[in-house]
Amino acid sequence: MIKQILGKIPRKHSKSAADPSPSASSLATSKKSEGGSKRLSNTVNESISAPYSVSNIGNNQENKFKNSRSNGNSIPSSYEALPSFRDVPSSEKQQLFIKKVKMCCVVFDFTDPTKHLKEREIKRQTLLELVEYVTSANGKFTEIVMQEIVKMISANIFRVFTPQPRENKLLDGLDLEDEEPAMDPAWPHLQIVYEFLLRFITSPETDAKIAKRYIDHSFVLKLLDLFDSEDPREREYLKTILHRIYGKFMVHRPFIRKAINNIFYYFIFETERHNGIAEFLEVLGSIINGFALPLKEEHKLFLVRTLIPLHKPKCLAMYHQQLSYCITQFVEKDCKLADIVIRGLIKYWPVTNSSKEVLFLNELEEVLEATQAPEFQRCMVPLFQRIASCLNSLHFQVAERALFLWNNDHIENLIKQNRKFILPIIFPALERNAQHHWNQAVHSLTLNVRKLFYDLDPELFKACQVKFEEDESKEKVVREKREVTWKRLEELAAKNVTSNEAILVHRPPST
Amino acid sequence: MATMNESLYPVLVLIDELKNEDVHLRLNSIRRLSTIARALGEERTRKELIPFLSENNDDEDEVLLAMAEELGNFVPHVGGVEHASVLLAPLEGLCSVEETSVREKAVESLGRIGSQMRELDLVESFIPLMKRLAAGEWFTARVSSCGLFHIAYPGAPEALRNELRTIYGQLCQDDMPMVRRAAATNLGKFAATVEPSHLKTDIISMFKDLTKDDQDSVRLLAVEGCASLGKLLEPQDCASEILPAIISFSQDKSWRVRYMVANQLHELCEAVGQEATRMDLVPAYVQLLRDNEAEVRIAAAGKVTKFCQILNPEIAVQHILPCVKELSSDSSQHVRSALASIIMGMAPVLGKDATVEQLLPIFLSLLKDEFPDVRLNIISKLDQVNQVIGIDLLSQALLPAIVELAEDRHWRVRLAIIEYIPLLASQLGVGFFDDKLGALCMKWLKDKVYSIREAAANNVKRLAEEFGSEWAMHHIIPQVLEMMNDNHYLYRMTILSAISLLAPVMGSEITCSTLLPVIISASKDRVPNIKFNVAKVLQSLIPIVDYSVVENSIRPCLVELSDDPDVDVRYYANQALQAIDQVMMSS
Repeated sequence: MIKQILGKIPRKHSKSAADPSPSASSLATSKKSEGGSKRLSNTVNESISAPYSVSNIGNNQENKFKNSRSNGNSIPSSYEALPSFRDVPSSEKQQLFIKKVKMCCVVFDFTDPTKHLKEREIKRQTLLELVEYVTSANGKFTEIVMQEIVKMISANIFRVFTPQPRENKLLDGLDLEDEEPAMDPAWPHLQIVYEFLLRFITSPETDAKIAKRYIDHSFVLKLLDLFDSEDPREREYLKTILHRIYGKFMVHRPFIRKAINNIFYYFIFETERHNGIAEFLEVLGSIINGFALPLKEEHKLFLVRTLIPLHKPKCLAMYHQQLSYCITQFVEKDCKLADIVIRGLIKYWPVTNSSKEVLFLNELEEVLEATQAPEFQRCMVPLFQRIASCLNSLHFQVAERALFLWNNDHIENLIKQNRKFILPIIFPALERNAQHHWNQAVHSLTLNVRKLFYDLDPELFKACQVKFEEDESKEKVVREKREVTWKRLEELAAKNVTSNEAILVHRPPST
Repeated sequence: MATMNESLYPVLVLIDELKNEDVHLRLNSIRRLSTIARALGEERTRKELIPFLSENNDDEDEVLLAMAEELGNFVPHVGGVEHASVLLAPLEGLCSVEETSVREKAVESLGRIGSQMRELDLVESFIPLMKRLAAGEWFTARVSSCGLFHIAYPGAPEALRNELRTIYGQLCQDDMPMVRRAAATNLGKFAATVEPSHLKTDIISMFKDLTKDDQDSVRLLAVEGCASLGKLLEPQDCASEILPAIISFSQDKSWRVRYMVANQLHELCEAVGQEATRMDLVPAYVQLLRDNEAEVRIAAAGKVTKFCQILNPEIAVQHILPCVKELSSDSSQHVRSALASIIMGMAPVLGKDATVEQLLPIFLSLLKDEFPDVRLNIISKLDQVNQVIGIDLLSQALLPAIVELAEDRHWRVRLAIIEYIPLLASQLGVGFFDDKLGALCMKWLKDKVYSIREAAANNVKRLAEEFGSEWAMHHIIPQVLEMMNDNHYLYRMTILSAISLLAPVMGSEITCSTLLPVIISASKDRVPNIKFNVAKVLQSLIPIVDYSVVENSIRPCLVELSDDPDVDVRYYANQALQAIDQVMMSS
């Protein structure tokens, strides 16, 4: 399973795929490691001293009063490059490594391009040396080294994103996709730190059993928080790193899945804003790909409670491709899930958003492709009620996309086999399109589908036609009858309330 | 169907309607649930309708939302409070659905029902329901339960109260952040119902748990509740329990948390009293005023006045005023704008001397700000300014700002300043107005943007109201009427509407002698749009002028227009003629 997962990731960074040994960690050790991380974050704060220095990174130039106050004092007066690894005997290399790592805990403010130029360059070089060192290391990393590494990484990457300046927020939520992403000015350092983290995680010299004390729940949680970064470069790194952590730290797997789920729920049910949904889904896509059969109940619940509701947010387009991949993975693994998925799509089917509706139709086709007759029959009635209304959509792309379903041989066969149920549902929609859909393409595609049914089963077709004409002529009567019924109910209600007073009730003639 | 005549089964109607494919019809029938209930009568509503609804909560969210709302008002339909318990079952189901808005509405309705219920029913049915929700398998039910505790707690007997507090404590530590957020959101409401002795122990420890949460979003909500919680405590307890949390929040690494603190701090000051405020909260607040993040400074700046009102003036001058000075030249326009909108409120707090000496320079610099919103915010508080520093000092500084805003390239800015002109006029007086602002008001009537012209016409009317018709005869009417000769028909339209607005203010005499002739001559305009607007204006004049004027001037003009080649002109002319006839008939 693990190999499957890792096979999905490009192997550009690691010499050999990590071979995660299943670690049987007891509850006690994981508790201890959490305590350790608290200590760790304290020391980080102390060493950096200024309360905001971590968050100073992405800050825009607006802090003219504060710069003097909160920045700068975190930078030691002498920030000098340390000797190169080549220039010291092997026995001192580890000590030097730790020194260099500690040096990189200092975080620079990149909002002012003229500030600390020399020091910034020194840190960049040092970081590159660290990457090199980790990549070429032979001999397991010791616990103390790991602790320092994680401390340095935490100091650099864990930061709170700053809000977008208000000027850019005017069109809030309207065109999320078109917005220019905010590029983090500190990227020259961040990138190398991420590279360093990636190499550290994937290095065969990193023993997961020890490393999990530092790459712990708290670390993972903060790493997941970073997925909200607006910088796509950062999310790309995070995606790869998360995947590797998932692969290497078996013990964290349930926790990671749960934490991602929580982020999804927050996104779906409360905020509808998050930048990293697509990346999460991409990681999950390959995790799902590796699920063993038969699927565990937990994973099926994940499908129903998380993946299907993810169709609800209005910014679906930002991650639909990845979501659709995850969904079809499930259906391909276990075709019995098809009708659950289809009913889910129907539940969240967009009412007014045509472009979202087209996405749904795309996904529907992929799911139907993997659907077998029994599941199809279980959901076809509500499904084709929905498709009927798509056929009549005034947005030609929606109508056209729905009609294209008939171009798919598998789907066409399913429809043909069940035409006795399906044609009566969609016949009125076909008829209305044929009579007066404004779009030429929709019109002619509809005629094709109509002809297909006619050629297949002329008797059924004629029966539907008769029924349609009957309903059409009765429509007004039905509507009137409904109004009359409600009116009578209201009269009855009024009579009950004021039962002591005599009122004149006009009884409509019954039909 | 024939039998329906005598026995219409209301529930069957509903069942039938809810089967319909068309969601609008289903929605419609749910919205008329009370009709069905009344038709059924109380007993059958309890026995037939409510059980049916409990079993049928599998519809679309929109329908469920409507159902949740309707049921909140159903107590009278089931026979009053003694039967209110039957309503809990359908709402319980709705508390666990996925869609947030349905759940929230169901909780709201449950709250409404629960607060009317008798104590016995509360214990026997409401609280068990709440406990079931709180122990729900999925987070949706647990989230819903959080919003019900404050309803049930006051009516619960002692033993149950202990249990309820324990359950709430568990919800605050729930495995899912969704639930913890809901618990944090509702903590203040719940705390308000808890006895003081337990407040200090149980509630405070829940609060502390939430403030240490590893999720930003939970901590954020904990801060939001801190002020309401603080107000429930004795000042010394608040100072010892809540204050430290707030101080540390004000240095939280998440700007959202600091932002929330900045918004809440002044309320907390009221709760902890002056002494603790001076010692601990002033430094924290000063830090927020100088925060790195513009959003935090915006929030803090917006509360400056409220904060200073709690302090004594010396402390305000000594600690807060320097920050205010800095903020007035902040690099973010939104910070300056927030400051500009409240800064005048500080004047009464500081007293006249400090105001003139310290505040006025800030105020003047904001009035010259490059960003129009900032200037507008100051101008909108002009009445307050005037009271403190007097008009002479003000008018010199004000005028350039107004003139510049009057010509701002954003029409919304121009619109805003026009809306303040009547206020300005009343504050500045006739003399000043004639010299400087009169011309501007006329200029706006020829603005390129319709909304500005429309506002300008309205402005002219309000000025006439402010300064009286005699003044208007000299300073407004001639200029306005002059513009009726403009080449551009859109400008002539503006003038027409200005005239129709002015007429009621100016009174019958001036209207007949001065305004009416201009309108009548406009009925010969070459543009049909002008002509049918003439018809509309004439119609509006009918109630103002004498009957003889209507017959001698207005009617002939309208009769002529009713023969116009243009269909719209004829239509409006006939409308006006009909109006005249109606007035005649009724008089």
